[in-house]
Amino acid sequence: MNAALQLDRFTVSLGDLEILKGVDLTVPFGELHVLMGPNGSGKSTLCHALMGKNGYTSSGSVLVGGTDLAGLGVDQRARAGLFQAFQYPVEIPGVPLDALITEMRSNDEDAFDERVEQMSGRLGMDNFLSRSVNVGLSGGEKKRSEMFQLAVSAPRMAVLDEIDSGLDVDAVREVAELVESLRKPDLGILIITHYSRILRYMRPDRVHVLVDGRIVRSGGSEVAEQLDSDGYEQWRRDNVGRPSALPDDLSGEF
Amino acid sequence: MINLDSFALKNISRGEPAWLSAERNEAFAIFERLPMPSSKEELWRYVNIDFDIGDYLLPVEPGCVEVSPLEGAATLDVVDGLAIGSGTRNPDFTLIPLALDRTEDRNDSTRYSSPGSGHDKFSAAHRAFGTDGASIRVPEGRVVREPLVVRVQSTLPGSISFPRVMIDIGPSAQASVVIRLSSPDLLETVVVPEIDVMLGPAANLDLTVNQVWGDTTTSLGRTRIEADRDANITFAEVGLGGALSRLYLAVDLLGVGSSAKIVGAYFGDEKQVLDYRYFMRHARENTTSEMFLKGAVDDEALSIFTGMIRIEEEAQRTNAFQTNRNLLLSDQASAQSVPNLEILANDVKCGHGSTVGPLDAEQRYYLMSRGLDRDRADQLQLKGFFEDALSRFPVSTELDSVRERVHAKYERTQSADRV
Ligand SMILES: Nc1ncnc2c1ncn2[C@@H]1O[C@H](COP(=O)(O)OP(=O)(O)O)[C@@H](O)[C@H]1O
Ligand SMILES: [Mg+2]
Repeated sequence: MNAALQLDRFTVSLGDLEILKGVDLTVPFGELHVLMGPNGSGKSTLCHALMGKNGYTSSGSVLVGGTDLAGLGVDQRARAGLFQAFQYPVEIPGVPLDALITEMRSNDEDAFDERVEQMSGRLGMDNFLSRSVNVGLSGGEKKRSEMFQLAVSAPRMAVLDEIDSGLDVDAVREVAELVESLRKPDLGILIITHYSRILRYMRPDRVHVLVDGRIVRSGGSEVAEQLDSDGYEQWRRDNVGRPSALPDDLSGEF
Repeated sequence: MINLDSFALKNISRGEPAWLSAERNEAFAIFERLPMPSSKEELWRYVNIDFDIGDYLLPVEPGCVEVSPLEGAATLDVVDGLAIGSGTRNPDFTLIPLALDRTEDRNDSTRYSSPGSGHDKFSAAHRAFGTDGASIRVPEGRVVREPLVVRVQSTLPGSISFPRVMIDIGPSAQASVVIRLSSPDLLETVVVPEIDVMLGPAANLDLTVNQVWGDTTTSLGRTRIEADRDANITFAEVGLGGALSRLYLAVDLLGVGSSAKIVGAYFGDEKQVLDYRYFMRHARENTTSEMFLKGAVDDEALSIFTGMIRIEEEAQRTNAFQTNRNLLLSDQASAQSVPNLEILANDVKCGHGSTVGPLDAEQRYYLMSRGLDRDRADQLQLKGFFEDALSRFPVSTELDSVRERVHAKYERTQSADRV
């Protein structure tokens, strides 16, 4: 059976800079995986390259639900069932969230409307629907808006980039529980984070560790525990001499 | 129609009060002396006036148009510089032809005495030859809820007309006025509209100008606003039409505690030139101004925004902000955005932001990642770009039709099969 996401020797460069150096990763339908890595390891790059953002050149293969994404534009990838929740969602002045939601509505109109109805109640989005997308929202509100859009688009594969960053403990728990509640047999989820704390509130099927553009370890939740005690350095040893990661506040999408 | 000459002047002046004839004669002398403006002058930089004003004729009666009153709003139509009908008089306000209200308090030379007021050949012609327009007065303490509407049209090919709207809002009075400027496409005409606003102490006015001139109309407009103590003005302009449409706006915050909010949205395509010269003068303390203009240019269009904020020495504790954002939708289009600050006081908060650039790639990416194709993503972004300005408009009258026009304009410029 096809997986929700299947990456084979996926490499990504930005100009001359090779950031991902051959990533193999499979997220079967119904599973929740976590990708962990220090700042600058290439996590957001992975998201953008999957989404087909301009400027990234990639090789290897990417399949979402068995559909090869090669050559597809950003919107076509979205319609093939890939959803990205952004680490830094951009502000779109003058475009209320409900206008965007209306534009997102596809063929399954009734089901879509039901999801909007249900999720906006559940996530308390009523006050946000008439406000411009991401404009003036706090970090937590932006994440909530991303989760809302995820839930209403009903993708086959959802990639959530640092959905826990910048949130206080309660908000992290809330997000984690929400993600858990979205789990279903026809959806694959990949949570991207550089902290293990969100894992306290969810039960991932697998945890992968990305360091310097490569997956250096995959396993069960014990991988996260090991990370907690030993940090990422253990996997860096054989990478001595490579440029080190950016400090926390400088990382991210450029 | 008649030539702009001393013969016409004599004809117009017949039967008018002496102060008005004197005013006309003085203006006519200036008109004759001044050359056509040149782009070498700072106030006309980037703009190329390639016609002679003498080639256009002054209408002596309005062209034939159908005007039907607006539902639920007092309306006056000014066609080819001349008002039609007798307007509305009631205890709350008067909205009547200016020709019926030519009293000395409406003497231009007393009102336009400040230096640097940017007078030129066109405004001199306006003062010499302008005979009519609309006069709006709201007496002290009156509150007029429904917008008062003035529809200015130009209908005669080869004509030059000088419509004027004079607005006096009395002390503590409140009103909103909508002025619509229109002409048919393919009708070659020059219009020199002037709007003159006086706000008494604690007066409030929302003034919206909806500029939808036809595609071969040249408009060289001036708007002057004077605010007394604690008065508030919101001035909003949409600029969509015209071959060349220029607006020289001078706002004088003359009274302590007065404030002005200036909003604008403009969209030029083909070879349109949209030219905005805005001057905001803070004369007294505790005054506040905010300018917020957003524009787009497509094809070979050109837009110009120069925004001058001047804060006089006396104007302490003043806030003045200015934002001008421009979208370039084609390689051939250009936008000039020139903010200027002249601050003579020391206790002020001032700021300006000015940008010129294409549609935002990050916004496009975000929207496309939600499944919108590129066209829909860009359309939504463009809509949002203007909505950011339109949502600050004081009255919603006609806003939906403005949205439609913006949308239609964008659709048309983006369609691939366009010649
Ligand atoms: N637009 C860019 N230009 C140059 N380098 C970039 C750009 N985006 C990311 N990088 C570099 O690529 C590496 C991975 O970045 P990123 O994917 O954002 O990491 P992460 O999300 O894991 O923190 C970093 O070394 C970063 O400096
Ligand atoms: Mg990142």
